[in-house]
Amino acid sequence: MKRVYTHGNRAIAEAALVAGLKFYAGYPITPTSDIMEYLAEKLPEYGGVMMQFEDELASINAIVGASWAGAKAMTATSGPGFSLMAEGLGLAVITETPIVIAYVMRAGPSTGVPTKSTQADIYQARFVSHGDYIIPVLAPWSVQEAFDLTIKAFNIAEYLRTPVILLSDATLAHLWESAVFRDRGEVEIIDRKKPKVPPEKYKPYEPEEDGIAPMAVFGEGYKVLVESLTHDERGFYIQDTMVQRRMVQRIVGKIIKNIDRVFEYETHYMDNARHAIVSYGTSARSSLAVVRDLREKGIDIGMVRLKTIWPIDEGSLRKTLSGVEKIFVVENNMGKLVWDIQRIMHDKEVIPVSIIDLDLPSPNEILEVINEWL
Amino acid sequence: MALIEKTKVELGKAHPLDKYLRIERIPTLWCPGCGLGVSLAALLKAIDRRVKEGVLDPKKIVFVTGIGCTARTSFYVGFDAAHTLHGRAVAFATGAKLANPKLELIVLGGDGDIAGIGGNHLIHAARRNMDLLVIMNTNFIYAMTGGQLAPTTPPGLYTTTTPQGSREKPMNVIKLLAAFEVNYVARGSSIYPQLLEQYYYKALGMRGFRFIEVVSTCPEVFGRHIGYRDPVTLYDELKKRVKVKTKPSIEESSLDWDRGIIIGEYIVNDYPGYIELIMGGKK
Amino acid sequence: MKHEVLVIGRGGQGILLFGRVLGVAAAKYAQLHVSATESYGSETRGTESRVDMIISDKLEEIDYIKVRKATIFLVMYPFNLEKYMDMISDNACIFLNATYIEDFPEKPDWKIHRAPYTEIAEKETGTIRTANIVALGHVVGKTGIVKPEHVIDAIREIVPSKWLELNIKAFNVGLNLP
Ligand SMILES: Cc1ncc(C[n+]2csc(CCOP(=O)(O)OP(=O)(O)O)c2C)c(N)n1
Ligand code: SF4
Repeated sequence: MKRVYTHGNRAIAEAALVAGLKFYAGYPITPTSDIMEYLAEKLPEYGGVMMQFEDELASINAIVGASWAGAKAMTATSGPGFSLMAEGLGLAVITETPIVIAYVMRAGPSTGVPTKSTQADIYQARFVSHGDYIIPVLAPWSVQEAFDLTIKAFNIAEYLRTPVILLSDATLAHLWESAVFRDRGEVEIIDRKKPKVPPEKYKPYEPEEDGIAPMAVFGEGYKVLVESLTHDERGFYIQDTMVQRRMVQRIVGKIIKNIDRVFEYETHYMDNARHAIVSYGTSARSSLAVVRDLREKGIDIGMVRLKTIWPIDEGSLRKTLSGVEKIFVVENNMGKLVWDIQRIMHDKEVIPVSIIDLDLPSPNEILEVINEWL
Repeated sequence: MALIEKTKVELGKAHPLDKYLRIERIPTLWCPGCGLGVSLAALLKAIDRRVKEGVLDPKKIVFVTGIGCTARTSFYVGFDAAHTLHGRAVAFATGAKLANPKLELIVLGGDGDIAGIGGNHLIHAARRNMDLLVIMNTNFIYAMTGGQLAPTTPPGLYTTTTPQGSREKPMNVIKLLAAFEVNYVARGSSIYPQLLEQYYYKALGMRGFRFIEVVSTCPEVFGRHIGYRDPVTLYDELKKRVKVKTKPSIEESSLDWDRGIIIGEYIVNDYPGYIELIMGGKK
Repeated sequence: MKHEVLVIGRGGQGILLFGRVLGVAAAKYAQLHVSATESYGSETRGTESRVDMIISDKLEEIDYIKVRKATIFLVMYPFNLEKYMDMISDNACIFLNATYIEDFPEKPDWKIHRAPYTEIAEKETGTIRTANIVALGHVVGKTGIVKPEHVIDAIREIVPSKWLELNIKAFNVGLNLP
């Protein structure tokens, strides 16, 4: 355990090392390059390899390959690079490959403002690849949490055999904060489940009771089949509706079944609150200040902050928000998470507070909108 | 696959090599007369020799392929195998090799897969002298998707996407790779399986980046477009054009359907591979 | 205890180093909770440079990451000064680099300290580049935001050994400014 004063990107890199990262592949892009630069120096000391590839297409495919060779693997990028990773991410989904992608949002569309932030990419993070699947997306709001959730991202990836996205933004990337970084032995580190059967009996996509298939890797004699086509439990391509259903059900079902491991949120001042703000990531920092301002003026308002922005445990969110009158969804984009909240809380008044700001929405701007409704 | 027809290729019966196949997936879905089966048989024989010599451990062999007829090879081999994305096999294999240097990575793909959509990865793997064996099956056409223009399509050929005849020059991947300090570059052909086996065998005993282009027959799709639909005719036509040479120069490497295609070992070096360089750095 | 520290200056004046040293001193040595952002123009020199730092002994007190009402305001160079006037709390401690700033409005509860940091740095350490650390000494001396020894520790941690003694000297000079 050590006390540090550092920034969000460094927290991600340090946490990856603690989580057991052994292979990093990346392509330089603002505002993430310092993650790669730091790991270029540190990862070899931890017995791992960091490699700068020719592009993001290579990076994502290389980490999928590395994961099948037995390494905990990750990459980091921002919007333009993540767009290029779309297909590779789908490969990780269908082959049920544990990988972590640190996605540091910057302003878009297209090249946008490389050094500055928004939260415009929350849907791209969820759904950039084609097909049916659920990829967990975790959104830290502080340097401490960038560290903690990166470890969680690796743990979920390994436990559920799935890609996981750690969704940060340019503001958090270079926000400097005090934090406590724990070491191996001080945090729970999960490694993927290994097969308990001999190679002849092993099927790479056959789930056990928890919905998750043990993962043999290359070089162990299991003759694994990594298959990007729709496949049965053996990994054999089969063009058949029932096989398609079973496969999608497996990929989606294992996440849903284990939603308690994935979904995390926290509340502030929600006991008997009359209204609530729902927010995530850096916007929630401003939102919390707004909640305090309003409470000082005697307005009973609380905040629900999603740490996991996908998938959402809708039942528990409904329960938490059941007692409030108005719900304000504060985010740094044209209004995106608000679509979920409007659907989940369809019987409530859900008001978008969508403020595009290249750093983060300021409390005063948020207050201006909320005051109109109170 | 452009073809629905299932045929039993020689492979299924080739007894000594059965151990390197996923017998339950044989027969393959490749068309009769397709060069892919011949090429794979040669590769498995070469692997077998290296295994018997103790140079290769079958458990450590990993086939990585992209998408295409050629890429389907990973269905059939009895090793660890990955059937990945169109164009990305080299990147995937590089990641696997770096994560576990004990693995022997064999990448296979069509010319579209390897040199078209995947060309950038090929270039950079070569630049790094990355420890991979990359095998590119040149059948002059996009076979799996039914006959579109490929990077290797002969000029003037009518394909489904060049109804006026292709105006593009075919890509000479041998010459491209000669720009880098790679360890092995050869061109073989399914017409000469013994020779091909030799190249495979040699490459499997080497370090660094190794590349073998296999000039092959696709009677079903290429044959149809060039007018030699019958596998035997296409085979004969290719045989007329393919010329074996012991030490061909890079200048002789052009992929010229009309004037002849020279096969042979173009580059043989023994530079340290990328893996050695990084392991050396680690002490 | 919660401080909102705002530092503005010109690229090349070491505003960011000021922030790093104070941040490390507060976070690692004084064991306080710190949150800071840095902003600067794309050119290294001549454009506006700014650090916003929130320091508190209670984690819960840290929310918005930028200064809303500065309790400590240091102006190393008067860049767009008007823009910041609404951001200064009523009983702020204000530090002005008198080398570049003469006029500054007054408010009854503002405590305004003036010293020509740039000139002092040049005179005492032979380079104007330590003006930031002279100013840091002054801020720490007058506000007690962290203990001087914590800052010395932070300087030792961050500043390359070649410049170490010079910066410690600059800090001590600032500490003793009236
Ligand atoms: C990203 C992407 N684009 C396009 C395709 C469609 N596609 C599949 S195989 C193929 C080309 C096949 O040609 P080649 O790589 O030469 O292999 P062959 O079938 O001739 O062995 C294409 C374009 C794809 N699978 N993925
Ligand atoms: S390459 Fe041609 S002949 Fe071979 S399987 Fe594909 S379509 Fe058939």
